[in-house]
Amino acid sequence: MTQPMPVLSVQAVAAGYGGGDIISGISIDVIPGEIFTVIGPNGSGKSTLIKVLAGLVRARVGEIRLGPSRITPLSAPQRVASGLAYVPQEFNVFPNMTIGENLRVSTEFLGRERRASAEQRDRVLSMFPEIGGRLGLRAGLLSGGQRQMLAFASAMMAEPKVLLLDEPSAGLSPKFVGEIFDKIKAVNGTGVTVFMIEQNVKEALRIADRVVVLVNGSIRLLTTPGDIGVKHDLHKLYLG
Amino acid sequence: MIAQVVLNGFITGMIIALPAIALTLTYGILKFPNFAIGAMLTAGAYLAFICNSILQLPLLLSAAIAAVGLAATVVIVDRLVFSPLRERTTITLLVASMGVSFVLENMARFAFGNSARSFEAPIVRSMHIMGLRINFEQIVTAATALAGMLAVYVILRHTPLGRAMRAVADNPALAAVRGIDRERIVRWMWVIVGVLTAAAGVLAGLDRAIDPLLGWNYVVTVFAAAILGGLGNPLGAVLGALTLGVVEETSTLVIPPNYRQVVSFFAIAILLLLRPQGLLGTVRVKK
Repeated sequence: MTQPMPVLSVQAVAAGYGGGDIISGISIDVIPGEIFTVIGPNGSGKSTLIKVLAGLVRARVGEIRLGPSRITPLSAPQRVASGLAYVPQEFNVFPNMTIGENLRVSTEFLGRERRASAEQRDRVLSMFPEIGGRLGLRAGLLSGGQRQMLAFASAMMAEPKVLLLDEPSAGLSPKFVGEIFDKIKAVNGTGVTVFMIEQNVKEALRIADRVVVLVNGSIRLLTTPGDIGVKHDLHKLYLG
Repeated sequence: MIAQVVLNGFITGMIIALPAIALTLTYGILKFPNFAIGAMLTAGAYLAFICNSILQLPLLLSAAIAAVGLAATVVIVDRLVFSPLRERTTITLLVASMGVSFVLENMARFAFGNSARSFEAPIVRSMHIMGLRINFEQIVTAATALAGMLAVYVILRHTPLGRAMRAVADNPALAAVRGIDRERIVRWMWVIVGVLTAAAGVLAGLDRAIDPLLGWNYVVTVFAAAILGGLGNPLGAVLGALTLGVVEETSTLVIPPNYRQVVSFFAIAILLLLRPQGLLGTVRVKK
């Protein structure tokens, strides 16, 4: 059986800040419609990897493709327009804007028609009813969980092919963590491929289709969640 | 007497408000205090002077041409000077803006000399309303400044460009991953800055003589107004400008007029001690 063409392909990417590389030799193919999760200990390069994909950090070597298109030279806004949306771990909403403004500003510079944007907003609000009734409320007044919902919703306004999530459960109360992962699963159910990095291994593995273990900036293992803990010992993988 | 001084102060405040909004927009989006704001104001006045006094065009048309001309000029200045330094420190950009200030000011000096010039504006008799003397220039100033403030408010609150400007000012990285091209927004910001400072240059040229130091006379007060209101907050800049205009003007009742800028320095000093974030500014916590 032939493999489907990857929706997101990372080939031999190395990147870092200043002089050195934080990640190197990263090659990943993300299949359309899957939830692809990257786990790893602190300082393993997970955040650097997702920032490279989002276009916030330049890949020093290697190539990134979104479907058939090479997006390596594209800026972050150009990548959004190409279909790659990113939800940062923190500071992921504009706190001085209303919920409605947060949603609108996320689509107004993508060259979409106003009607198409309005229709997308309706679709997004039906997916995130938690924020729908309060469009005039300032985002800075929302709780951590509600902010995370707004951040997802804002990213979804761009109608992405791939949604990049940087530790979606970070800083959330346990009550919200399960809710957030259920929401990710629901978003994925609409056909959006999810690429997620996460510290909460248990919850991440619950919804993931495939998982990569990143240690010291390199891929240690690519497997399915079912194999973690059965065929592979996570503690040994983390510690090397 | 006091009511007249307060009125004059309000008008002065309105002239200051336009470049103060421009300064605060630049600070909000590019995170540097644009020291060249005074020289830009001077350049706007001279552009209007060329159209009005040399080309004999009506003052309103001259002001419009000056606004377009200065907007184009500051976009080019950004491309040549500020854009290559975009990721450098605030101090680097501040020093670069000082360089721009000296270049613009000396270009005006080279072209027009040091002698004072004035617009060819119609002489209209002052009106007297409730014991207050209101002249034509003051009405023009108030109307222009209010229109400018209203336009900035509408742009910032009710247009995609304004929302994007606020987004970039708030969190440039998040704005980028929401599809907003920062450089495009910065160009539009400079266009607005150019139009506002050109309008202020024309108003300042109506209020006093046009010379290469015209804008320099306003720089301290403009900075004081922007800081007083809370740097990065356009509404605060307007509030700061009107407050300083009135306070500076009323101070001339007790101190010689030549020393009225001292009031601005005192206002900055006292405010930085009591409320460093300004009247409408918010405290930013750095992690």
